[in-house]
Amino acid sequence: MANKIEDELKKIVSTITEIPLDTLKPDADFFDDLKIDSMKAIEIVAAFEKKYKIVIPEEEIPKMRSLSKIIAFAKDKIK
Amino acid sequence: MSWDIEKIKSVLPQREPFLFVDEVVRVDAASFTVVAKKTFSPGEYFFKGHFPGNPIVPGVILIEAMAQASILLYAACKPEVAALKPDYYLGKVKSEFRQPVRPGEPVIMEIKGLKMINNAGVGQATARVGENIVAKAEFIFGVIRKDAR
Repeated sequence: MANKIEDELKKIVSTITEIPLDTLKPDADFFDDLKIDSMKAIEIVAAFEKKYKIVIPEEEIPKMRSLSKIIAFAKDKIK
Repeated sequence: MSWDIEKIKSVLPQREPFLFVDEVVRVDAASFTVVAKKTFSPGEYFFKGHFPGNPIVPGVILIEAMAQASILLYAACKPEVAALKPDYYLGKVKSEFRQPVRPGEPVIMEIKGLKMINNAGVGQATARVGENIVAKAEFIFGVIRKDAR
């Protein structure tokens, strides 16, 4: 289950950012390393919420700066 | 709850001839939903060229109408931010058009918010004429306070 979520999230981020799956490093910072703008970041959050029907509180969004941080949040919320 | 044109103008910075919401039929901030209406009159400036003798509402105008309705939804969900009269700008639009819209046909736009935060919004819009879907769109827009520019 955990690996499935990880793969799904990676695909979501890859699709939105147009960064190929095989080059998307989990710890790469969305803003500093991948140069993702804030619009793409909110698109990732909205896609994540829609897929798993969960809500990421607004104050948590700035912490979602990498794929690994989103995965960690997902694993905590989706049991 | 519905909004008249004065309430709409208190939120939207757009004005005629670029104001494309006549009325908000229903606002439900709890379910992140707005239903808005626009009827394009035969005298709209763009019908002269789009197309001569065959007036059809341009798809980009339908997108703008749905985007304006999305801002109204944002204002309903985030009244404290909207009260500061921020700038709204489109970040991304995915759209499809299914049927032409002609002058005089009331277009009903239903906007559902997926995410509304202090500096951005994500929404899905469906525009109908009668029972028929004429256009659909997904929007991501930014919200920038004037004192943050």
